[in-house]
Order: sequence, then C-alpha cells, then structure tokens
Amino acid sequence: MRGNLYQTKYLVVFIALVLFLSGCSQGANPDGSTQKSGVQTTAEPTYGGELTFALATSPDTLDPHRSSRAVAVRAFRTIFDSLVVQEADNSIQPWLATKWTVSDDGKSYTFELREDVTFHDGTPFNAEAVKYNFDRILNPATKALNSRALLKPYESAEVLDEYTVKLNLSTPSSSFLSNLSQAMLGIVSPTAAEKYGDQFGKNPVGTGPFKFVSWTENADIKVEKNSDYNWGPSYVENQGQPYLDKLIFKIVPEEATRVGGVQSGQVLAAETVPPQNIVSLENDPNTQLLKVNTLGLPYTLFFNQRREPWKDVNVRKAVMLAVDVETIVKTLYMGTYERSWSPLTPGILGYDETLENSWEYDPDTANKLLDEAGYVMGADGIREKDGKKLTLNYVDASPNREKRNDIAVIVQQQLKEVGIAVEINVTPDFMTVIYEKSDYDLYGNSQVNSDPNALREIYHTPDGSRVLESLVGGYDPKLDELLEQGTVESDPAKREEIYKEAQQIIIDKAMIIPIYIFPYTVAASNKVNGITFDSLGYPLFNDAYIQQ
Amino acid sequence: MKNVANESRVVQIPKLNISKFTTRFSFSTISVYVALIVLLCILVSALFPSWLAPYAPTVMHTDRILVAPSAKHLFGTDYFGRDVFSLVIHGSRDSLIIGVSAVLIGVVVGGPIGALAGYIGGIVDVIFMRIIEILMTIPGILLALAIAAALGPSLINIVLAIAISSVPGYARVMRGQMISIKKRPYVAASRSIGTSGGRILLWHILPNAWSPMLVMATIGLGSAILTGAGLSFLGLGVIKEIPDWGALLSQGRNYLTVGWWMATFPGLAITAFVLAINIVGDRLQDLLNPKMSRGR
Repeated sequence: MRGNLYQTKYLVVFIALVLFLSGCSQGANPDGSTQKSGVQTTAEPTYGGELTFALATSPDTLDPHRSSRAVAVRAFRTIFDSLVVQEADNSIQPWLATKWTVSDDGKSYTFELREDVTFHDGTPFNAEAVKYNFDRILNPATKALNSRALLKPYESAEVLDEYTVKLNLSTPSSSFLSNLSQAMLGIVSPTAAEKYGDQFGKNPVGTGPFKFVSWTENADIKVEKNSDYNWGPSYVENQGQPYLDKLIFKIVPEEATRVGGVQSGQVLAAETVPPQNIVSLENDPNTQLLKVNTLGLPYTLFFNQRREPWKDVNVRKAVMLAVDVETIVKTLYMGTYERSWSPLTPGILGYDETLENSWEYDPDTANKLLDEAGYVMGADGIREKDGKKLTLNYVDASPNREKRNDIAVIVQQQLKEVGIAVEINVTPDFMTVIYEKSDYDLYGNSQVNSDPNALREIYHTPDGSRVLESLVGGYDPKLDELLEQGTVESDPAKREEIYKEAQQIIIDKAMIIPIYIFPYTVAASNKVNGITFDSLGYPLFNDAYIQQ
Repeated sequence: MKNVANESRVVQIPKLNISKFTTRFSFSTISVYVALIVLLCILVSALFPSWLAPYAPTVMHTDRILVAPSAKHLFGTDYFGRDVFSLVIHGSRDSLIIGVSAVLIGVVVGGPIGALAGYIGGIVDVIFMRIIEILMTIPGILLALAIAAALGPSLINIVLAIAISSVPGYARVMRGQMISIKKRPYVAASRSIGTSGGRILLWHILPNAWSPMLVMATIGLGSAILTGAGLSFLGLGVIKEIPDWGALLSQGRNYLTVGWWMATFPGLAITAFVLAINIVGDRLQDLLNPKMSRGR
C-alpha cells in the first residue's frame, strides 16, 4: 500500500515534470504558432512568421518629425516612407515621388507623386499630404528638432494638382533631396497627425511596409505587415508587401542579455553587438553577424571653445596630440571598430582621405605646446598657470553607450601624462548640460546623416536659425564661407572640393578629436534572411524572411 | 545594592576582552578568527593599498587586455589592461568609505530620533514613528536608488542615499531599547530620588541601550557596502579613476562570457567582506547581550 502510494506520487511528479518541460520547449519557440505548414527546402523567400528584433535603447517617440534618436529611426523606418531614396552611391532615386524637376535658380522643386499610395488609415497620399507634412515640421507647435534642421531651407509648398507639389526654398540647397530621403522627413498621415496631435508619436500612421500595432513602454514595439504595400523603393528587392507577418522590436538595454537572447533563441535578431561578443559570435555556427558602417559624423570629441583655455588653438592641439586614439579604439573595440580621422565618415560625399594618418600620438610635442602656452608642471603632476590648475571637464552621456564612458576613462589617464587633470561628468541629462548651459570642456557625439551639409549645423557661426546650440562654440570665417558654399553649390565635384577643405580646417584648428566610426551591427539567428541596410546604415525589413 | 550591581554591568559591557572570542576551540571560533583576519586584510588594503598591489590601479597595459589570471596578473586584467588584483586592493578604500560613512550617518541621525521618540513618547513618538514607518514601507535599496537618481551621481550622494535608507532601522531599534529600559526598576528608583530627566537619559538609559546599536551598525556596514555596490552596479555610481568594488563588478558583467575574472574577483571581495563582518557582528551580539552575561 505504502509503496504504491509513493509510486503514484512519483508518477504524478513525473507527469508534471514532462508537462512542464514540454511547455518550456513550446515557449522557447517564439514563431511556432504562426509558422506556415509545409517545410520549404528551397532558398526562395517564404511569407509568414514574425521577427523579434532586440533594440538597445527605447525610442523617444515614433513621430519621425519629433524624434532625435537613431534608435527610433530603426523602428519607424518600417512605418514611414520618404519622397525619394538615396542609393549606396549617393544618387537619389524615386520612392513616393516618381520624378522631380529643379528650377534654374535651385530654389524650387516640383515633385510628381505616385497615385496608388494610401496611408494605413485609408487616407489617400497626395500633394496636400506632402504640403501638410513639411508645414507641420515648420510649425513651432510640433517641436521638431532634427527634422527641422534637415528640412532647411524649405519655405513653403504649393499644390499644383492632386499629385503634383512644388516646394519652395529660401536659398538653393544641394543637400535637400538627400535630406528628403531620410526617415526623419518621412511622410505621416495628415488625418492621423491631426487626430492624435501630441500623441501621434504613440499612434504613428504612415505609408510604410509595416503598420503600427502597439508600443508597450520599455518593453516592445509591434508592427504588422501592410498587405497593400506596393511602392517599395528601388533600394530593396521586394517592392511589394513584406514577407514577415509581424515585426516585434523588443527593448533590451542590457547588452549581454540582448546578445544572449539570440544565442538562446528568445529573439531572432539583436542590434549593437558589443565588441567582445562580436569576436565570440563570429565563431558561433548558429548565428550570423551583419555589420555596416554608418554614414554621417563619426564619434567625435568636441572642444568647447567658449571657455578658457580651449579658445587657444595650441592648447587644443596639445590635447589632440596627447590623446592616443589608436590605442583607445584598439583596446576598447578589439579591432571591430575603425578609427576616424575626419569630422565626416568615409563614404559620405567629399570625405577627405588625405586626413588619414595625417597626425600621430605625440605627447612630447603636446608637452612643448603646453609649456609654450604658459602652463607649468605643478608638484602634483598637474600643470597650472596663474595659480589655476589645468583641468578639463569631460562630459559624457549615460548610460554607457558603445563604451563611450570608457573612452573618457582612458583619456583621463592619457591626459594625466601631460599634466592635464580630467574630471569626468557622466549624466543622463546631457541635453541641459551641453545644449542649454554649455557646461563642458570636452563632449563626445556622433550623428547619422546623409550629406556633408550636416557640418554646417555644428561648425558654422550661429545665424539665428540654429535648432540646437553649436557644440564647438568657436568659429572660423573661412570655414563659414566654405560651409555656405557647400550648401548652395550644385556641382557634386565642386562640393567635394569644398568639403575637403572644410574638413582640413576643422582638423587643422584642432576643433575636435575624431575617435571612431560606428559600425551598426546585428546578430541574427541563421534562420533570418534578407535584413538589409539603407545607405545610412539603418536596417530594412522589406526583404527579410524567416527560413522555415 | 541593586544599583551597584547595575553599575558594574554597565562597566563590564564595553570591555571587549578578546579572550572571550576564543573561550572554546570550535568551528565558530575558527570562523571568527578567519573573519577577523579577512577584515584586517581589507583594512590594511584600504589604508595602505600600494603596499599590497603589484601595479598602480590606473596603469593600462593596453598590450595585455583581458588576460586570464596568471602569476603575473593574479586576478587577470580587465578590458583596459588594468591589473584586476590591484584594482580590487585599491577599490577597497572607496567601498569602505561608502560603508563606514553611511553607517555613521545612519546611526547619528537614526539613533537620536529613536531615542527621543522612545524616551519622550506620546505625540513626539507618534509623529516620528509615522514618518519612519512611511520610510520603512519603501524597500531600502529602492529608496537608496531613488535618492541617488534624484541627487545625481557623486560619492557623497551615494553615501547619503544609503545613509537615509538605513535611518529607519536604527531609529526603530533605538526606540525599542528606550521604551524597554525606561520602565526598568533602576530608572524608576533614580527618578524617585529626584534625578533630572536628562541625567537619567544620559547616565542610566543610554549606556544600557547602545549595545544592540553597535551590533546593528556592524552588520549594517556589510549591507551598506552591498547597497553601495548595488548602486554602482546599476550605473548610479561615479566614474572614478579607481572604481569601487561595485563599479568593478558592473564593468565586468558585460564581459562574463569572455573574461569571467573581471566580475568574479571583485564579487568575491564583497562576499568575503560581508560574510566576515556578519560573523564578527554575530559574535559581538553574543558578547554584548546582557541576558547572556547575566547567565555567567
């Protein structure tokens, strides 16, 4: 009797365990429920399935006109289309606009639009919608930041007929078309934008290959396929409806968890793989690593020239020579990131290759320059002048993205060698510290952008139209002139020359220390195919499918 | 007579006769010894780190990043190429500073609040204790986290955050002691011969009330260091030239798959310290407990 009872107990436990374990294995297969029946053995793309894609940080908003974060673009690029697309060779191709003409004075662009496009909410896409979008960005009530900078020098739009719209600019702008290709100038549904107002960022409606489903704060963003989609850009192979039924962006800030999730099958793909994992993932047979260098401004340390002694080009130069960028990049990124030499990234129009290896780590010259500037070494190993210690307030944003805080730690040690005391101030509230109070000596930032005209927003003397405070705070008349020419010059060959000269001035005046070019990396399960990247390095999911 | 007996006990308690730690040769005695040695080592490394550390903690051997533990680098190197052993040695100072100052502030603020509430009683007690209870409904680490996040990252703010979150505990213990001791016969006797309230508080109650606080502070030292490590780990710490143990742990966690030693050794240091301080605190409690000394 007693023995039997025990046996029964064990049996119950055993059954429970079996049930539990089988439950686990089902749970571990996230796309199990939506898979189509029938096993495909060919490499042909298959429809269906859902892709989980882990993002490193939470987007600020899904309203393209208000967002200022690259991570948001990765999510809302799936929801919004642009008028034009920029190919890898920097040429501009049709998207929602089929063709366009530019007036002789370069101040008006006439677009002919596709006639078969509708927004996810049924609103027809037409010239009125385009006009509404660009006027919305100009409207101060929208509180547009990056998109307003990109839209410059747009002034007004005229609806010529239902599918023809003319955009008027205040000055010619050779970066205008390229800027229009960016997701931050994506076209939103006028009906939805009016309906949701401030809340549009939580209820985005566009014309893109995916429709917005839901956004759970700090957890995930879900989008589903737009079955009517038939207007993909030439940049992707599949211009029709996407293969995936659903796309789920999970927000996983912890890098080890994010990458571990791909290896354990909790997510199918994860972005920004830390260098130490890139090295180990390359040997994992079940995962693939996708890597693309982003376009725009590399991660750069900016001197605040509003402050002493950074007004002095020789002191800036001393710091530039005393920072061993080569060692920083090699040590922290273990050979997975490339070092940057210019205020622009390679691949962008006008990138100046001659700047590469044009200077090297040279603490001796740095010491000499500091001696000449009147800074004498104090007893504690810190230089001083008129009783004031030479300290450098290095501000960096938290959380520690791409090991940027660690760069500060190394710079602190390297500058100590030449007698400069570095105070590191890591703050989540860098918008206030940097852009409102300008309370920094050195600050690092990068920007994804499609055109070298992006330099103007940072290095040109403020002319009242600036959206954010300049990071450098010190200007050069010749540089101003070049940047102005670069904006209006329409001949690409001449523009290249202009921007090459501009880059040389910026480096020559030691306004910045370029550090690294950020490679956008995605770790994905081998089941995932067809994730591609646009010319800026943002992921595209039009061609993505999951192998059964 | 009775009064004299009490007086003598009062004198007896603070005498920390070390021989009492070793009355019997048992497992617990050995563990107390080991704990004391561990604490001594940590104290020495906090006071004179350069005696023990083979390298300067800030030197980055960039040609030797993420090297596994070896004779040259006992605990390996981190992703800057810094020697982890030297970092752990040097990091003990800030960890101890965080722990000791947080406990001191906690005792100095919490003790008097509890003492006043318990001794005066009535409306004062009600008001103080309701405030304390409100604070106690929030878990300590959460409170510290909220304070640290609100004040911004700096060493002083971290200390303040931990101190404030530990105040309720000390206040409650002190109040309990006060309430129980103020009803003792010798207090009543002293009052009956006309001793003033302040004198009774200072001469008769406080000397008998402080021993649980000492035990609590000792154990609190361990938990304060843990909380400090937790805050650093969660990224609310400060970026310093020489990181404390929590910051080291936090830096190491992203490298667990490629360099387990970066997080493991600072973690072991925290564990060893907290364990040792708890063992010693436990022993202190036994020694200082009046009920046990009455038994002898």
